[in-house]
Amino acid sequence: MAAANGHNSAGRSDVKTSRPEGSKKHVIAFVFSILLTFISFALVMAGEINTDFVYIMLVVLAIIQVFVQMAFWMHMKDKGHGFAIIGILTGVIVVFTCVIMALFWTTW
Amino acid sequence: MAHAHTVKRHTGIMDWLTTVDHKKIGILYMLAGGIFFLVGGLEAILIRLQLMYPQSEVVSAQTYNELITMHGTTMIFLAAMPMLFGFMNAVIPLQIGARDVAYPFVNALGFWTFFFGGLLLNISFFVGTVPDAGWTMYAPLSGTTHTEHFGTDYYVIGLQIAGIGTLIGGINFLVTIINMRAPGMTFMRMPMFTWATFITSALILFAFPALTVGLAALMFDRLFNGNFFDPSAGGNVVLWEHIFWIFGHPEVYILILPAFGIISEVVSTFSRKRLFGYSSMVFATILIGFLGFMVWAHHMFTTGLGPIANALFSVATMLIAVPTGIKIFNWLFTLWGGSIKFTVANLFAIGFIPTFVMGGVTGVMLSVAPADYQYHDSYFVVAHFHYVIVGGLIMGIFAGLHYWWPKMFGRMLSEKLGLWTFWTFYIGFHLTFFVQHFLGLLGMPRRIWQYLDGMGLNELNFISTIGALLMGVGTILLVINIIITNSKPKTASNDPWEDGRTLEWTIPSPAPEYNFAQTPLVRAYDAWWEEKMEGNTKMTPVEPIGPIHMPSPSILPFFMGLGLFIAGFGFMYAREFGTVSLVIGIAGLAITFICMGLRSWIDDHGFHIEEEEILKDQGVKA
Amino acid sequence: MSSHSHVEGQLPHEPERATLEGRNKITGFWLFLGGETVLFGTLFAAYLTLRGQIMDGPTPDHLFSFLLVAIATALLLTSSLTSVFALQSMHRHDVKALLGWLIVTVILGAAFLGLEIYEFNHYVHEGHKFSTSAFSTSFYTLVGFHGAHVAFGLLWAILIMLQLKNRGLNTTTAPKVYLFGMYWHFIDVVWVFIFTVVYLMGRVG
Repeated sequence: MAAANGHNSAGRSDVKTSRPEGSKKHVIAFVFSILLTFISFALVMAGEINTDFVYIMLVVLAIIQVFVQMAFWMHMKDKGHGFAIIGILTGVIVVFTCVIMALFWTTW
Repeated sequence: MAHAHTVKRHTGIMDWLTTVDHKKIGILYMLAGGIFFLVGGLEAILIRLQLMYPQSEVVSAQTYNELITMHGTTMIFLAAMPMLFGFMNAVIPLQIGARDVAYPFVNALGFWTFFFGGLLLNISFFVGTVPDAGWTMYAPLSGTTHTEHFGTDYYVIGLQIAGIGTLIGGINFLVTIINMRAPGMTFMRMPMFTWATFITSALILFAFPALTVGLAALMFDRLFNGNFFDPSAGGNVVLWEHIFWIFGHPEVYILILPAFGIISEVVSTFSRKRLFGYSSMVFATILIGFLGFMVWAHHMFTTGLGPIANALFSVATMLIAVPTGIKIFNWLFTLWGGSIKFTVANLFAIGFIPTFVMGGVTGVMLSVAPADYQYHDSYFVVAHFHYVIVGGLIMGIFAGLHYWWPKMFGRMLSEKLGLWTFWTFYIGFHLTFFVQHFLGLLGMPRRIWQYLDGMGLNELNFISTIGALLMGVGTILLVINIIITNSKPKTASNDPWEDGRTLEWTIPSPAPEYNFAQTPLVRAYDAWWEEKMEGNTKMTPVEPIGPIHMPSPSILPFFMGLGLFIAGFGFMYAREFGTVSLVIGIAGLAITFICMGLRSWIDDHGFHIEEEEILKDQGVKA
Repeated sequence: MSSHSHVEGQLPHEPERATLEGRNKITGFWLFLGGETVLFGTLFAAYLTLRGQIMDGPTPDHLFSFLLVAIATALLLTSSLTSVFALQSMHRHDVKALLGWLIVTVILGAAFLGLEIYEFNHYVHEGHKFSTSAFSTSFYTLVGFHGAHVAFGLLWAILIMLQLKNRGLNTTTAPKVYLFGMYWHFIDVVWVFIFTVVYLMGRVG
């Protein structure tokens, strides 16, 4: 074949454990996500907490959950994801600018 | 490893309808973009004729609004961007030593969606309901309350379809450049046009989704009684401006960065000198791209965002002048001390430099928010953006046309006709737009159909129209040049300018179907020039000659575009013709999705170009 | 150009990355997700701007039910986990398990979608229609775009499963599965922001 030759990216051993459905860390990420979700719901349902604090905590919890899901389930912490990270990060920066502007504009 | 695939090779028009070859797609983009450029140019001439004398009635006020709207929309979306895509398609795989782009099928799809989107938009002329609320379609003018007719819907749907093509094109070039560079071509050895394409594609990827949302929101307001931009239901008209310009400002950098890339190539080739300050050029391009996302509200200084927002966006806008200035100085230092050949391509490039600087400095003037309260919506703004878009981008495109024509078509455009084109266009350009600065300062507003006599605007408007006619002459000369050249034999050599620095000049003109018989080894920036300076007559190959795998042609991209076209009409007229129209819309979408499914289901095994054919090509060029 | 998917003997460990075409698809899809981030981000920004403009319609407090949103979240989150299990099966070259986990993912996703359709139907009867106010328009557009992405994903998954049954796992079908997995996770990530910004923040205080 005269096509440009590539080689497999460095193998990740994500099939580490004895469980038939693969590594524990994916399930741990799942449990962690459920936990973060539960805390978010609880904060709002409790009702008596300072609203500014709740807003901030909700955003923080969401961001943490997204990190957990993207790092573990989408392998972003693994090698070979340089451009993926740049791509998503740039999108996030653009969005961040828009959202900050929207909040600034409506709440200033 | 011989595979017995039947070779699917079409000829004639079927070849062009089914091609997935980046070189042919590049030509299709050039052709369609060129035709739309003439349409937009005609619209411009009509506008200028209407403004030649005070209180004219060359066209009606309604027609005038349609002309200015379509002129802007056509030139930006249907002429400039496709022509740039044409260059990117024709040149990028050749510059990086690849045999095609990452997704040849998607490449074809991008062309056909652009084509059908542009077709839909221009069919509005034949139906009689033409977009007329300006290319920026501000709410509430663009909503159903103030524009009941379907013009705005043509705009919304046409651009939405064309925008899909642009977005997938952007992703295509990003992945091509990331994954498919020849061995030895590190990022910092890529030609500047490749870098410019790379950053531009990133801008496309992150800017166009905002436009998608804006157009969808306007469409929902118009078709489904949505309330995004309807203040009586809590909507916000300034929201449209925010969303539009978050797309719109990066869009103008999408337009200019590839032109910057072309200028870098042309200037360094025809000075026989390495581009001055390559690293800073790369860095400046990245910075311009990034800052381009941070300045959108400089189009909105007068909407009442407040002094803090205005100040921040003012400063951010001024900042962009810094990396741009770096580029200007680098081009000048490249020319300085070089052995300059004044080919037509180089004339356009050298003419670009002071012209773009003029456009840039008026940009800095506009960035001063308090001053902008005077400039906003006056001809000063019109002068500014035509200086950067026409004096910048279009001159860059004309430079690229003359430079890369032999590589695309195997023939050289006539230098003599090119000289006439350059001077008529260049002089015509300055006549048209230089005076518009003063018209703006004298208080002439934008987008007005007529101006009164006795306001001091008569002479300058007259001169501006004469300039526009001269630009028309220049354009016609270019078209004549193209037609005459097309009938000449294909005699261009691999390196017809003899001073080629980059990989595209190492292969025949026009390039063979497979681009490179053998992928080359890249050992430096200006890879071909370096080899020539060491006395080599060709690049070192990294592989032996062998059968080359090619992707199969396909008619599916054409049908996917057609499906979207039909869907667009169906949805657009649903608010007048009800369910029947909606069903047509859904049918159109179904065509598109079924084609997607077919594409997924049927594996593309491609076909091979065998060794004998490659060796024959090589033998012909001794 | 794409290499052929004829494998002599063993399938490579990461079949989705074994060909240039597969690697191109993966890189390109990440970039596409970056663009989708901007798409949803713009929708979120529009929603944040307009969420206070309720006019005469029902308020978020009245409309949004913690239970419904919690169930929807649990469904989507679990389907994201099962898609991980599907990918792991693929890397073990266990096509049966791969198909099994994909089916579970699709069922959970379909349940999510069904719940959302029920939810929207309920809201319309409460007077929260698309045309009621700026809040309602931006609500339905944001959440609806997400739902449309879920629906498209389900159709895509079904098509992939049919291909896997028809021609098995090879270096052509593997990248498709991988891309679907990426897409499905992304959909879940967007949902995290939707339930936080739309539903939870709508009921704060």
